[in-house]
Amino acid sequence: MIPVRFRRAPGVDTRFAMCGAWLTLTALLTVPTTGVDAQVRVARVDVESVVGVPAGARLAGDALSVRTKAVASRLRCPVCQGLSVWDSPAAMAVNMKNEVQALLAEGYLDRQVLEYFEHSYGEFVRLAPRATGIGVLVWSLPMVMLVGGVIIVFRMHVRRPSVIPAGANVAIDPGLEAYLPAVRELAYGKEEPGSSSATSPGGRQR
Amino acid sequence: MNPRVLMIAAAVAAPVLVVLAVSLGRNPHEIRTPMVGRSAPAFSLPDVDTGEEVTLASLRGRPVVVNFWATWCFPCLEEHKTLVAGARALGDEVQFVGVVYDDRQRAVRDFLRQRGQAYPSLLDEDGQVAIAYGVYGVPETFFVNPEGVIAAKYTGMLTPERLVDGVRRAIGRNAP
Repeated sequence: MIPVRFRRAPGVDTRFAMCGAWLTLTALLTVPTTGVDAQVRVARVDVESVVGVPAGARLAGDALSVRTKAVASRLRCPVCQGLSVWDSPAAMAVNMKNEVQALLAEGYLDRQVLEYFEHSYGEFVRLAPRATGIGVLVWSLPMVMLVGGVIIVFRMHVRRPSVIPAGANVAIDPGLEAYLPAVRELAYGKEEPGSSSATSPGGRQR
Repeated sequence: MNPRVLMIAAAVAAPVLVVLAVSLGRNPHEIRTPMVGRSAPAFSLPDVDTGEEVTLASLRGRPVVVNFWATWCFPCLEEHKTLVAGARALGDEVQFVGVVYDDRQRAVRDFLRQRGQAYPSLLDEDGQVAIAYGVYGVPETFFVNPEGVIAAKYTGMLTPERLVDGVRRAIGRNAP
């Protein structure tokens, strides 16, 4: 087996090499390790033609990280079932998340970023639809139906007494009167002697 | 039955039936896009072979077929033959452009060397252009008319019939 040896490049001074290594190490240690930093990227499309010039301040570091999460959480991953762009590991979602981050880093507002994605994908891309136009129904219909249901139940309860008051004159179909003792016996057990076939004491449940 | 109850039931059921009727009439495989009828987003991407930047603006003046694809996408392998044949047949009248999504340059070059190439393929490494076009996945094909407006979009594998239909729409001839 041939031993692998590291050879010093001809003409390179050891102290110079050590100094270079030290500077590299220092530079690496001073790079912030928390938060998201604006990445240098080549703009391939003209975002300004869709949502105008960036209306906010450029972001970097933790502020960019927080805003990226907030905006990406409001966007739907187009290739997933009910997952946000922030939560999805799909390649498309990762690209969209990176795009959100890049746009925020350039100074676009949350509103502008959401509008940019909506321009391409339609309102479908918003996890929560807007409360305007037909979207108003999504927000208002459940509340309207809940209130309507409560009103209907309340009115039914008020209109229909559950118990026939004692002594009320209840008309009995003469054709069915012959069956009444048998039904009463089935319902309440053996009929007590002397009980009337017209009404039971204290009224009956409907 | 109480007429009021009937009216309430009808009022609740009617919107549900309308939604069902509209939804059942749709193609379940069709992914609607707001991009058709809008200006095709301008882009600048490097050519996979030469590395030179190609812009959509430089292709205007004749219909453009913008096909989003990738080497790892099986339907893309199948439709590649259709696109190459179409580009060779319509090369003078229609410009074809492939936008390679989420792929590596080397894999794309190998693919094109093995399977043939009749039009430029551009590398969209971080998916910026795919997002601008509202692409859900590959393959997707957009047909842009000479004025730069998206006339049609097809999701999924492009068949010769779909290609002809899309080109007809792009040149403003919908009737067969």
